[in-house]
Formats: sequence, C-alpha cells, structure tokens
Amino acid sequence: MFGNQQYNIINSPLEQFEVTSLLGLNAPILGYLNISLTNLALYSLLVLFIIVSLHYMANNDTKLVPSKWSIALESVFASINSMVREQLGKELYLPFIYSLFFFILIANLTGNIPYSFTITTSIMVSIGLSFTILIAVTILGLSIHKLHFFSYFVPSGTPLALVPLLVLIELVSYLARAFSLGIRLFANMVAGHTLMKILATFLYQMFSGSLIVAVLTLIPFTLFLAIMGLELAVSFIQAYVFVILTCSYIKDAIELH
Amino acid sequence: MASSSNPPPPAERASELINKMPSSPGLVTKTGSVILGTGLLATAISQELYVVNEETVIAAGFFILLTFIAKSVREPYRDWAENNINRVKNILNQSRQEHTQAVKERIQSVEQMKDVVSVTEGLFALSKETAKLESEAFVQRQKVVLASEVKSVLDSWVRFEQQEKENEQAELARTIIANVLKSVNDEKTQKEILTSAVAEIEQLVKSKAI
Repeated sequence: MFGNQQYNIINSPLEQFEVTSLLGLNAPILGYLNISLTNLALYSLLVLFIIVSLHYMANNDTKLVPSKWSIALESVFASINSMVREQLGKELYLPFIYSLFFFILIANLTGNIPYSFTITTSIMVSIGLSFTILIAVTILGLSIHKLHFFSYFVPSGTPLALVPLLVLIELVSYLARAFSLGIRLFANMVAGHTLMKILATFLYQMFSGSLIVAVLTLIPFTLFLAIMGLELAVSFIQAYVFVILTCSYIKDAIELH
Repeated sequence: MASSSNPPPPAERASELINKMPSSPGLVTKTGSVILGTGLLATAISQELYVVNEETVIAAGFFILLTFIAKSVREPYRDWAENNINRVKNILNQSRQEHTQAVKERIQSVEQMKDVVSVTEGLFALSKETAKLESEAFVQRQKVVLASEVKSVLDSWVRFEQQEKENEQAELARTIIANVLKSVNDEKTQKEILTSAVAEIEQLVKSKAI
C-alpha cells in the first residue's frame, strides 16, 4: 500500500511543485519553533548564488574591453536600461528592474533543468512579488501625488453620476493587477512544467514498450524537444513581461496616466 | 518497477542517446568513453543507483536541446560577440590614437616655442639697436639739414659778396677808363706819349738796325 501510494505521488504531474522540507528543526521552545530549509528556500538560495556568481564571473575584472561572456551581460543590461529609459524616462528604478529581471529569469531557467524545482511555480513567490510591487507602487504614487493620487481612479470627463461605479471598477482593476501580474508568471510556469511532465510520462511509457514503438516514439520526442525549447523561450518571455509590466505600473504611479 | 522488470532496453536506449549526443568526429577514445559510459549506466540502473523514470526523458530531451542550442548558437554568438568587442576595441584604440596625436601636436607646438625666450631677447636687442640707429640717423639727418641750411645761407652770402666785388670792379674799371680817356684827351699827355713812342722806335732801330 505504501509503495502504491509512493508510485502515485511520483507520477502526479503536480508533485514537482510541492514545497517539502529538506532540513528541519522542530524544537519545543518559543511556542514550538519550526525552522526548516525547504526545496523552495534551497532553490532561492541557489538562484541568488547563480545570479551573484554569474555577475562576478562575467564582470571580466572590470576591464574596459568586454570578453565574449561579459558582452552578453552587457547587452542584457543595455536592453533593460533602454527599456527602463523608454518607459520611465529616468534610471532611478533601473537597479530594481534589473534585479527583478535577473531573479525571475534565473529562477525560470534553473527550473528548466531536470530534477530541479522552479521557485516561480510557487504561488507564494510570484504573488508575493506582484503584491510587494503593487503595494510599493501605491506607496510611491501616494508619496508623489499625496491625496491627488486618488484621481487615478476617476477617469477624466466622467459624469458625476457614474463616478461611484467607475471608481469601483477602476479600483478593482487596479487591485487585479496585483493578482494578474503574479498569476501570469505562476500560471505560465506551472502550465509549462506540468505539460512537460505529462508528455514525459507518456513518452516514458512509450519508450518502455517494444523496440519498434520506442523507435517510433522518437518522432513525438522531437516535438517534445520543440516544446522544451518553447519552455526555455517562455522563461525569457515571462521574465521580460513581468518586468515590462512592473515598469508600466511604476510609470502609472508616477504620471497618473 | 517497470524499469526493474526489463533493464536491457533502457541501457540500449541510453547508449543510443550517448552515441547521438557527442556527435564530434568519432575517435577511438570517444568510442572507449561511450562503452565505459554505457557500462557504468547499465550498472547504475541495474543496481538502482539511478532510477529511470519520466524525468529521465526530460533530462535526455533537455541535454539534447541544450547541445542543439549550443551548437546552433555558438557561431552566430561568437561572430556577434567578436563584432561588438572589436567595435569597443576600435573605439578605444581610436580615441587612444587621437589622444596620442593631440599630445604629440601639443608637444610639437610647445617645441616650436622652446627657444622663444632667446629669440625674444634677440629681437629685443635688435629692436633696441634699431631704435638707437634710428635715433642716430635722425641726429645725422638733422645735422645734414642744418649743414645744408648753413651752406645755403653761406652760399647766398658768397654770391652776394661776389656780386659786390663785381660791382666794385666794374665801378673801378669805369673810373679808370674815364680817367684814361680824360688824360688821353689832354694834349700835353698826347705829346708826351708821342715823344716816348718816337723815342722807343729810335731805340729799336738803333739796337736792331732795321
């Protein structure tokens, strides 16, 4: 029975998104202290380590002439810089946007490595990021425009009678951003990884069959490779989309339309 | 479970995949490593050190995809990176050359002025000399002017004196002529002259015996 249960858990395509404790400390002090290193925490640390080491290695000893590695990082920086400049007109938010982009990108890419865990498929990470950003953007808007910030919820030229309704709609749409931003990333990553897991299960079953079926399975396997390539592309695209939407939200808070 | 029931096919597949993945020119060492790898993999699978499941398919696909991407991207990426690096290098080299040139030009322009002090001193001495000579020339010219002035005055005096002299001589000549004429007109004188003339002629005749 235990073996059967384990078998089912292993084969569930959503099992890969479960947060499990790898190392735990349970102590009956301070109201049952529970400190544990989960796979989420481990991969967050790994992502941090990869980002830092990537930047350290591609730093090229701060030489003026770039190497073949540092030129890639430089061009990524240049494109994010130009994006922030275009959207916001100033570079004040560049460090934040750059860090955000690299965090999501590296998190997505490490998730593509087999046997690994994707931290952006955890709703706590993606929704946490988007909520943090939306709260920060609201505070930014309030600090810049004071009470005038609330004019954001009243589109110009609305009849007075419609104002309560429109304010409600605008408020809902504003708050929906917090969810949509995070869920977009989360859903894309979860969908991609689930799809891959399901397809891999099918392919594995087919590969495990007779030799002829296994050879014939190479045809859907190439399709699987293409989907995997798409997943890699989605990793980049989602990081880019997340960042560009964050830029536009910051822009909205600064300019109030 | 499924993997433990029939282990040979996964091992064959694994060797097949390994043969596919390193597609660089087949060497003896490569074949050896493939055989060794296949053996190790077969051992690992049979000992359940490695359990083959659907994640293996993902892993195989991932590494094939990675190899494919690395192979297809390497050349264009290298070209692109080298182009950019060369662009940066060219800009830096060009600016360095321009800077060197500017420094050289500056050195040259300063070099041209290196004996400006001595030249200025020479020029100053020369101008001093010139001024001195000019003042001397001016003095000389003034002297010449004065001398010519004095000469013209003296000349006019000389001319005047000459005229005076001429006038006096002419007067003298006139009075003498008048006296002579007056004395000639006197008879007594005429006689005296005549007698003296006769006496003279007699004398001449005597001496020369005309």
